[in-house]
Amino acid sequence: MTALRKSVACPARARSTLRGLIGWTLPVLLLVAMQWAAGRHDAPRYVVAPTTIAATIWHLLVSGELYVDTVASGIRSYSGFVLGATFGVFIGLLSAVWRKAEAFFDPLVSTLYPVPKIALLPVIITWLGFGDISKIAVIAVAVFFPTFINTLYGARATPVRLIWAARNMGAKRAYIFWHVVLPAALPQIFTGLRTGLALSFIVLFAAEMVGSHNGLGDLIMRSQDAMRYDWMYAAILAIGLLGFISDRILLAVRRKLLANKYSGEANRG
Amino acid sequence: MAKNMLAAVRRTAAVLYPLVLLAIFWEVLSRTGLVSPRLMPSLGAIGTAFVKGVWSGEIIHHASVSLLRALSGFGIAIVAGILLGVFMARIRWFEQLVEPIFSFGYPVPKIALYPVFILILGFGSSSKIALIALECSFPIAVNTYFGIRAVAPRLIWSANNMGADPFRTFFRVLLPAALPSIMSGIRVALPLSLVVVIVTEMIGESVGLGYYISYASASFMYASSYAGVIAVAIMGFVLDRIVIAIRNRLVFWEPKGAAQDSSPSPLEI
Repeated sequence: MTALRKSVACPARARSTLRGLIGWTLPVLLLVAMQWAAGRHDAPRYVVAPTTIAATIWHLLVSGELYVDTVASGIRSYSGFVLGATFGVFIGLLSAVWRKAEAFFDPLVSTLYPVPKIALLPVIITWLGFGDISKIAVIAVAVFFPTFINTLYGARATPVRLIWAARNMGAKRAYIFWHVVLPAALPQIFTGLRTGLALSFIVLFAAEMVGSHNGLGDLIMRSQDAMRYDWMYAAILAIGLLGFISDRILLAVRRKLLANKYSGEANRG
Repeated sequence: MAKNMLAAVRRTAAVLYPLVLLAIFWEVLSRTGLVSPRLMPSLGAIGTAFVKGVWSGEIIHHASVSLLRALSGFGIAIVAGILLGVFMARIRWFEQLVEPIFSFGYPVPKIALYPVFILILGFGSSSKIALIALECSFPIAVNTYFGIRAVAPRLIWSANNMGADPFRTFFRVLLPAALPSIMSGIRVALPLSLVVVIVTEMIGESVGLGYYISYASASFMYASSYAGVIAVAIMGFVLDRIVIAIRNRLVFWEPKGAAQDSSPSPLEI
């Protein structure tokens, strides 16, 4: 009854605009507060006016300086992600269909899953040096675990009657794998990929801060050392944006792949 | 009885054998000198370094600092995350106010804000705890939100109908019904808290396991470095088991199997 009254008093269109406006309140308040605080004389140096940050970003974009570090970070994180995700999905699927592989990998991964792989970073750096390879390796290791576990559990959770039905209709093993098990596992594979993607940026940032000569994490450290806090905020925004856009790309791919098949699942992304 | 014990032994063996295989592989590489023993110290050397570190109290000291930080941030995140999730699920204007922060902020690597936290809160524990709390409260809040939203309205209606006040409805109906979902959010957040504490300790600190590992490997004491990694691994593993045990106690009505597989909960926004 109340819901009905509300929708009459406040049509859906107007309500969604209002909703959008309310959502802007907190970010706008934060920006206004920063602008106000930066104008004060007793403000600490790290409080930078948003207008200054915007000007810096514009300057960095025009001069292309931000571009170099963003590309360096992007290449590292995507290579590490693709490498870890490929291994994760491949070994996960292998374990799902081959009992011996499962007996080996499942206990190993389940035991090591809650262990923060980032602890290996200094060790991997001594192995592979300070270059890109060590960073890509740590990211790949971190991405592998959630991808593997979700792939394995997703494939394992394939409803057995679907497999029976396919077998009953004369499908071969390979056919069942490609057309029954894989589609059934896909939603959860994407869940694993998404977790891995979020982790990859945490690890990327850590690796670049600990030892690197370029990349956004290093830019943040450099600008902090140089007390160029406007640069620091620009780099933080860039790394946040990189993470955000990558997540949206993954969700778009997922929607594309899962469209029509699992409408209830896919539309949630 | 004997049969049970035999089965238990067999189960343990099945879990341990991949680890043992890896250990043997490691030892062979190290002993034959295929990989420089400085990079890959023999297991004996690592074990000695670990026992020495624990015996002298060094590892215990660093581990307790890291553990205290991780748990403080994690505790804050549990309280804040559950409260945020509940308010978002039950109060319309609050949901509209903070929803954009969660949908835009979720895929953003929050760790990029660490330099800002250092500037505001200093290099000590408080900036690390604040960052852990920020990073961990996201999955907990989102899981709580979906958990509460999924509570069947008729349960709430019947509680209201039988005269329960909002307080009682919350504690006796909403919270128990959302508990499985809340617990899976907590389980996703736990490894995150360890990752963040180790990463932030690697960047700039003089205590904590993250510092210990990076310091040891920078001073070419690789065995000690691996000993630190082992300490982190034990910490992560034990904490995860504790969370699972608590979950199984609190959510006793759901099958245990769901908790024991290591699959992280699907986090969708």
